[in-house]
Amino acid sequence: MLEVSNIETGYGDVQVLYGVSLSVKPGEVLCLLGRNGAGKTTLLKSIMGLLPLKSGSISFNGKALHTEPAHLIAKHGIAYVPQGRRLFSELTVAQNIEIGLMVQGRGHQTRERVLELFPRLRERMKQRAETLSGGEQQMLAMARALSTEPRVLLLDEPTEGLQPSMVALIDEVTLKMKNEGVAIVLVEHQLDTVLTIADRVAFIENGRNPETVTTSDLALTPNKVMQYLGVS
Amino acid sequence: MEFGPHFLLASLEGAVNAAVLALMAVGLSIVFGIMRVVNVAHGEFFMLGAVLAWWISSLVGAHPAYGFVVALIAAPLIVGAIAALADHFVLRRINYDPERTIVATIGLLYVLQQTTLMTFGPEARPVEAPFNKRIALPWFEKTAEGFSMYWPWGLGTTTYKLAVIAAAAVILIGLWIFMTRSRIGLIMRATQLDSEMALAYGIPVDRVYALVFGMGAAIAALAAVLVVPIQQAHYLMGHDPLLLSFIVVIIGGLGSIPGTIVAAILIGMSDGIISVFFSPTVAKILATLLVAFVLIFRPQGLFGKRVA
Ligand SMILES: Nc1ncnc2c1ncn2[C@@H]1O[C@H](COP(=O)(O)OP(=O)(O)OP(=O)(O)O)[C@@H](O)[C@H]1O
Ligand SMILES: [Mg+2]
Repeated sequence: MLEVSNIETGYGDVQVLYGVSLSVKPGEVLCLLGRNGAGKTTLLKSIMGLLPLKSGSISFNGKALHTEPAHLIAKHGIAYVPQGRRLFSELTVAQNIEIGLMVQGRGHQTRERVLELFPRLRERMKQRAETLSGGEQQMLAMARALSTEPRVLLLDEPTEGLQPSMVALIDEVTLKMKNEGVAIVLVEHQLDTVLTIADRVAFIENGRNPETVTTSDLALTPNKVMQYLGVS
Repeated sequence: MEFGPHFLLASLEGAVNAAVLALMAVGLSIVFGIMRVVNVAHGEFFMLGAVLAWWISSLVGAHPAYGFVVALIAAPLIVGAIAALADHFVLRRINYDPERTIVATIGLLYVLQQTTLMTFGPEARPVEAPFNKRIALPWFEKTAEGFSMYWPWGLGTTTYKLAVIAAAAVILIGLWIFMTRSRIGLIMRATQLDSEMALAYGIPVDRVYALVFGMGAAIAALAAVLVVPIQQAHYLMGHDPLLLSFIVVIIGGLGSIPGTIVAAILIGMSDGIISVFFSPTVAKILATLLVAFVLIFRPQGLFGKRVA
């Protein structure tokens, strides 16, 4: 289980998170919902160890992560699909996947499993990541993360700017990972997606986490969404 | 000497220049490319390599070739280790902040230079080449019966100079293969492209930086060991190579290895040739002018990518 308790962090002197707590179990999808600038990306970055914590703690299966150097977080089985993909742009598809495989020292078998999920990538292994279409880039960002054989998957707006069929593919893979027992933290603005694949929803507002509800409760109280997002 | 043979002679000197400069500048370029650090102390790593080569070969004694080979291996390793320590204790502490790294490496420049002066003294020190056979070169002459070959007096080079050119080519090709084919090269390029994502994907960026900074310095030291049988080791010898490497790296495109090599050949050859026919000062003036034009008309350099 991944547990974030009461973390405070930010960028230099600018504090962004003011005591956020959440937890995700294996096989569970937790959605982070909040307005632009609420601190969702910041939260995922701090789980990856990319931002120093002012206070609070992060642990995975009882082991503290926030005291580890950033490059060891991935080795604990945490994989990150960042907002805007952030592929290694000048490296090829194969090399981007290779970087993912190196995290746990995986090889051919893992690569094959990942490429079965995204067959389009197989035809483009020698192509530079920056020359892929937006949808293909998102597939590669997912593939790079899955190549680490993660036990926790952090997905930051993985369907941003994609056509419906591509969104469906990403959602399908996300659900497949959930069913394999991966704990998933998903940042997503599409409410219908949230309602179909999330088990619980954590609202993030101004760097705080005022409330976390189960998706079924949320369906019964639509005014909450109105309250936190300003939409209905 | 007539113009033809004279020009060939100048070109040979220029080629030796270019070979050493290409190594030097590639070292500067990978450090800038991967770490975004402008290493003002790069020339001092070159100087240190040369002085250590003298010191090591004088310690070893025996046949000069023996001392030279030991220096060729040991000097770059020692200089690389010093640079890696400087990265760890200085550059890392200031978070690789672009302006502060410039100031820090200027400081490093003087520390290295003055320490060398105090330890080894101000004398210029020669190192004997491991082999140094003169080769006379022929030239062609048009006579009534067509072309005939003759050996103009003074037209020639040495086996050692040719070996320097060959060695530089081998090292550069090796480096290229290392960067594009090896796993460590892949890790370095990933770090260059997005260091934050590299961290998120398990790459120990701090160690990569120490390795890259050490490698850049070691390549400069290697260039120096190669050059020191031609040009004596001296504690102030780092300045010119530093200036020329910066010129080369700017013309070639910051961080581009192929661009750096092409620019080094261009600048090294022309510097050699112009120095022979006019003067070294004219050569430097023209190179600096060329930089000015590149910065005006193609700021990203010949091979650099335009930054968005
Ligand atoms: N590198 C940075 N330096 C300084 N402030 C930053 C930095 N990155 C983000 N911030 C600030 O932190 C706050 C939270 O940003 P964050 O990216 O976490 O929001 P978000 O919830 O992911 O928003 P979005 O839905 O738009 O992606 C914002 O006010 C933002 O301006
Ligand atoms: Mg965000």
